[in-house]
Amino acid sequence: MKGIRGISQLSKRFYAATRSGQSLALPLAGLKLSPGAAHSYQDVHVTRLPSGLVIASLENYSPASKIGVFVKAGCRYETNDNQGVTHLLRLASNLTTKGASAFKICRGVEAVGGSMSVTSSRENMSYTVDCLRDDIDTVMEYLINVTTAPEFRAWEVSDLTPRVKMDKAQAAQSAQISIIEALHAAAYKNTLCNSLYCPDHMVGDIESEHLHQFVQNNFTSARMALVGLGVDHSVMKQVGEQFLNIRSGAGTTGAEAQYRGGEVRLLSTSSMVHSAVVSQSAAAGSSEALAFSVLQHLLGAGPHIKRGSCASSKLVHGVAKATTDPFDVSAFNASYSDSGLFGVYTISQAAAAGDVIKAALAQVKAVADGGVTAADLTRAKAQMKGQFLMSLETSEGLLETMGTQALAEGSYCSHEEISKKIDNVSLTDVANAAKKFVSGKKTMASSGNLAKTPFVDEI
Amino acid sequence: MMSIAARSGALSPYMQATKHTIKGLLAAGQLTPAAAPGMVRLAHTDIKIPDFSDYRRPEVLDPNKSSQDSSEARRTFSYLVTGASTVVAVYAAKTVVSQFVSSMSASADVLALSKIEIKLGDIPEGKNMTFKWRGKPLFVRHRTEKEIAAEEAVNLAELRDPEHDKDRVLNSSWVIVLGVCTHLGCVPIANAGDYGGYYCPCHGSHYDASGRIRKGPAPLNLEVPFYEFPDEETVIVG
Repeated sequence: MKGIRGISQLSKRFYAATRSGQSLALPLAGLKLSPGAAHSYQDVHVTRLPSGLVIASLENYSPASKIGVFVKAGCRYETNDNQGVTHLLRLASNLTTKGASAFKICRGVEAVGGSMSVTSSRENMSYTVDCLRDDIDTVMEYLINVTTAPEFRAWEVSDLTPRVKMDKAQAAQSAQISIIEALHAAAYKNTLCNSLYCPDHMVGDIESEHLHQFVQNNFTSARMALVGLGVDHSVMKQVGEQFLNIRSGAGTTGAEAQYRGGEVRLLSTSSMVHSAVVSQSAAAGSSEALAFSVLQHLLGAGPHIKRGSCASSKLVHGVAKATTDPFDVSAFNASYSDSGLFGVYTISQAAAAGDVIKAALAQVKAVADGGVTAADLTRAKAQMKGQFLMSLETSEGLLETMGTQALAEGSYCSHEEISKKIDNVSLTDVANAAKKFVSGKKTMASSGNLAKTPFVDEI
Repeated sequence: MMSIAARSGALSPYMQATKHTIKGLLAAGQLTPAAAPGMVRLAHTDIKIPDFSDYRRPEVLDPNKSSQDSSEARRTFSYLVTGASTVVAVYAAKTVVSQFVSSMSASADVLALSKIEIKLGDIPEGKNMTFKWRGKPLFVRHRTEKEIAAEEAVNLAELRDPEHDKDRVLNSSWVIVLGVCTHLGCVPIANAGDYGGYYCPCHGSHYDASGRIRKGPAPLNLEVPFYEFPDEETVIVG
């Protein structure tokens, strides 16, 4: 009876009253913590299983959990025969698996209010589910099914063709996506030149067999990482040992990316010209790559204030002197496991395109020639750290960081270590990076009305 | 660390492609704030969930309070109301059905014919009167003292259907029996036969003054219907 229960809780209520002066945000007074205890409750735990699978998890006591399976199965691992298979794989994540039908997966995940998504980049593919803490077991089952035991039934795969076309049509609407895909296609001879989207000649030709083979060769334990937010590490280890050991071995090793440097011009009637000029930078994980990142922020990596004037961007300053028409310019930086691209991305009016590109490149040359002050460098480092740390604020960003680090290195560097590494980048590193860009073989991709846009050998 | 290098800058969202397999209502389509050049809004963020507060019970109006606190009370109330309504509905259904079914039973005029009221003063002693009752002849016989004594003295061992006289009459001076011979259904003649009772002319069954079979082919005694004496002068049979 409620009344009697209330009476028995009187003593508890009075106990709470005596502690009313205690703030909940501060540690309890008079409680001795061991030195390691202060940070241990919210650490990222990383384990590498004997099969090669890396498990990383962080218990952040959040009411919602996020689990991701990261696989080294980006579009760089596509071969000549199965170009576009990763695009199909992205769309095929809700198809029937050995343990659950397509309907069951959809209904099961929706019944617990969760969501499932697939993200693929050129290097990795990540399957993510999020749900409430208590429903992890349910959605984990579906995630494991999708990543380890898909059936790719022929009729279900052929039903994906209209969705492929829809995806491609939507991607074609975005000039940035077209430029970036064209840029990579022009810059590399193999692996990294593959597009995130299925090429036109393969639409409708990717079959269940291709998908099965790609999964067989690339979804192996040594190339996978299981990452969780708001989950218990021991639970993840159990799942990893029991279920993600289906395919052992290292799978097919990708070829080394070969940079060639070329040009792609996508003519259209648009009055806005998008153009990217890049050259090869450094592989991710090296200190050179960090220098290129700092250089990117030094030059200007996008707006920090909505509808602001980008006062801190060198590129914007330089280009503003060359034209009065509306424009946008930012530094472009992409690092992959064995190569990277660095350069400038400009958006300008068709008539002023040439001036804008030349002005932007002149700015980079100025940095290479030593026109950078220490204040600029500090500002750039602060902006880079700020952007990185703010991206860790969201659970998606945090999961992606943990996943890519787990895949690339098998360990997790805390944000303090990374901030320190950023701080250690010196002026000379940045200047050398700029010099490497200026002297390297350029790749260029442009789209729009290209009458006044220079060719790559004219810039 | 590709994650740092590639994720920074305004163009990082275009370096990867995302497909939402199953989208929750608030699925993450928003890009990380620092990396997005502007806001990317999914159409689904425009859908407003309607306000149902007009239909909610007072305990669950506050969206910040857990609904589990009042769930037991709400559930009990709902179940009680459902249970009570079910009981009432079942009772009503039973009443309606039984009323419809009972409408097919005998009507009042038929039931009225099922009883007969007889004035006993009209029947002198020793006389047998015949009435039509429920389509059958009804014998009402005013017995004399001699007949009563004779019938009560009969030895049950010699009767084909042994029944003592007092088991067959409420008031020994009045014998009320159905005038249907138990052999093949003819109407016996009163004050005839060897035993001072009734004689059936069809096959020669002799009944005594109490209506019991004595001689002849009939197997059973004459049937005694239900009757009662509301007062000294009348009897209601049926």
